[in-house]
Amino acid sequence: MSPSTKRTLAVALATVLTAAGCGFVNSDDEDAGASGKVSAFVSTEQQLGLSSLHPKFEQSAGVTFDLTAAPTADLNEQLRVQLTSGTAADIFRVSPGLSSPVAVGVLGGQGELADLSTADWTKSMSADMRGLASVDDKVYGFPVGQNAIVMAYNKKVFAEAGVEPPRTWSELLTACDRLRAAGVVPISAGFTGGVYLQFWVYALAASLVYGPEADLNDRMLAGEVDFADHAAWTTTFEKFLALREYMTPQANGVSSDQSTADVAQGRAAMQLMVSSGLPALFDGSEGGAADFGVFALPATDDATETRLPVAPDFLAVNKNTNNLDQVNEFLDFLAEPANVKSYVETLGMLPALDVVDDAKLDSLEPVLSYVKDKRTTPFANYLWPNGDTQQRLLQSGQQLLADEIGIPDLLGQLDAEFDKGTP
Amino acid sequence: MTLGRSRQRFPYWFLVPALVVYGVVVIYPTIAGGVYAFTDWTGSRDGANVTGLANFGAILEDPDAMAALRNTVVLAVAVTIVQTVLGLGLAITLHTRLATRNVLRTLFFLPAVLPPVIIGFLWQYLLTPSGPVNEVLGNLGLGGLAQNWLGDSSVALWSVVGVIVWQNVGLTMIIYLAGLEGIPVELNEAAAIDGAGWWRRLRGVTLPLLMPATTIVVSLTLISSLKVFDQVFVMTGGGPGYATETLSLTMYKEAFVSGQFGYSAAVALVLTMLVAAFALVQLGATRRFEVRT
Repeated sequence: MSPSTKRTLAVALATVLTAAGCGFVNSDDEDAGASGKVSAFVSTEQQLGLSSLHPKFEQSAGVTFDLTAAPTADLNEQLRVQLTSGTAADIFRVSPGLSSPVAVGVLGGQGELADLSTADWTKSMSADMRGLASVDDKVYGFPVGQNAIVMAYNKKVFAEAGVEPPRTWSELLTACDRLRAAGVVPISAGFTGGVYLQFWVYALAASLVYGPEADLNDRMLAGEVDFADHAAWTTTFEKFLALREYMTPQANGVSSDQSTADVAQGRAAMQLMVSSGLPALFDGSEGGAADFGVFALPATDDATETRLPVAPDFLAVNKNTNNLDQVNEFLDFLAEPANVKSYVETLGMLPALDVVDDAKLDSLEPVLSYVKDKRTTPFANYLWPNGDTQQRLLQSGQQLLADEIGIPDLLGQLDAEFDKGTP
Repeated sequence: MTLGRSRQRFPYWFLVPALVVYGVVVIYPTIAGGVYAFTDWTGSRDGANVTGLANFGAILEDPDAMAALRNTVVLAVAVTIVQTVLGLGLAITLHTRLATRNVLRTLFFLPAVLPPVIIGFLWQYLLTPSGPVNEVLGNLGLGGLAQNWLGDSSVALWSVVGVIVWQNVGLTMIIYLAGLEGIPVELNEAAAIDGAGWWRRLRGVTLPLLMPATTIVVSLTLISSLKVFDQVFVMTGGGPGYATETLSLTMYKEAFVSGQFGYSAAVALVLTMLVAAFALVQLGATRRFEVRT
């Protein structure tokens, strides 16, 4: 063999080995579509909810399920890259509306998701839910359940202060006064990063902004009205600031974990949180869930005006999946009443499809009537046209709390982000 | 007998796989990142439009990005100065016959081996308004010094500086200790015989001979603090408001939270230029003062 031939062979061999090592050469294992293996990339909460369901589906449908999970924030970071590089799973978790680069509205608009509009379960979606799952009237998201923003309170602390769960704004202020007089922090607030601060805005806006004007967001998107010139938005932030005196002092420097622990251990009375955070609260107390109750945050003196902010948790289907039939079959399976019930009971979520009315949800029992009576609104950020409006609220909201900016400044900043529209 | 030229070069062909990997993993992403800085890429498969210098113009007009730039520079300069001075002080103090010097060296170096994320979570707890730091200050009768360390925008950046210095000062100390070991004892003895006191020997002998170590310390500290991410991300998330937002954090948020990969790449390019500029200026300045034994 001549030196040049040896050289050529060595380079070819080395390059092939390198390429194989880097994953440029497909192996048989990666050809999952042809072998009936369905891949899923879900949040850790969804993984828990699906843990008892997907094995049943595997048995009944004869399909192998490859389930990968990550915390929602990590999943959001990875999914966009996976989609662009063509390595995304067949089915994955997406955010509602247009709230992030991997929200159903954004990915649906970019042609990354399979159209699920013809599925039977879409008939069981509420109009609000359908709006958050759709682009141009095509449904791209399957709602596995929904979370609510609730005020969780420590029953023992309330009882010792002689306080009942308030139903109106005035009752809330009175309760806070009594709790403070009893020597506890009435409202536990941990606003590092601004994440828990935003829940206050969404909860107050549900009753003050979107409850009275269900079409307000459409009018805002049409440019007819904005944050700064709508009195209800100003009232929302005024009421938030009015509660500041009852909140954990220096809340911008307190983590959400710390504020949850304060309620769990009775140092503070209540905390506004997304219902998915309730298990962490329950874990912090010896008595578990029995030590705590929840109520919807009142924002006016008419209890019937109180609205519960809710947000669906979606799964979506990769448009480029090789397993569309099996995935659709899986979603139909999840939409069966018994499976919806199993999922929401496992996670303590509210049902998202109108097929179940007997789910055993002890911890959310006090707010179930809001869902049954359709006195709910979506989280505000899921209605907004981009994720930057929410991001602005997270950071500038902290400045508002610290009196570094005023309400008009904040509303102006939100308008500037809102007006940028959907990227 | 000599090998033919082709046989002499033959072993170099085995570098090809490593070069291919290096090219794919390092060179290509670096160049691609630089190219994306001049586009409006949002991460989608549709590709990107070339927008020229628009992203850089947007950075200049974005008050948040400019705040992040200002915070980054302030943080880097403060960390570099404080960490260098403290590290030098510790090294000089522990370059003695102190009986506990090895224990103390270990204790001061220990935080440097811990992951920055762990350090961030630890200090986030310690610096809570009702946390251990304020509690200790209160118990010492220094309650007036208690602060909302991470929640007050006038204090938060300095708290982050303090945490970064606390973690890395041990590493600076180790580099300076190595430098001190390299200074011949005779030089200090000769200066002492000539009547030089401790302070004079420090200024005239020790510090000039430590300039090579100072060059290394300042370079490493400056570069690492310009691109700091972990501690800020964990402790404050850039807040309160934008008080601790750094360019690295802006880069992350623009790419992975807002999906503005083109803009994020432009921020990354600005950060790279900033690091390069600071490093070049600093190297030129410190090398001028270097002396060798």
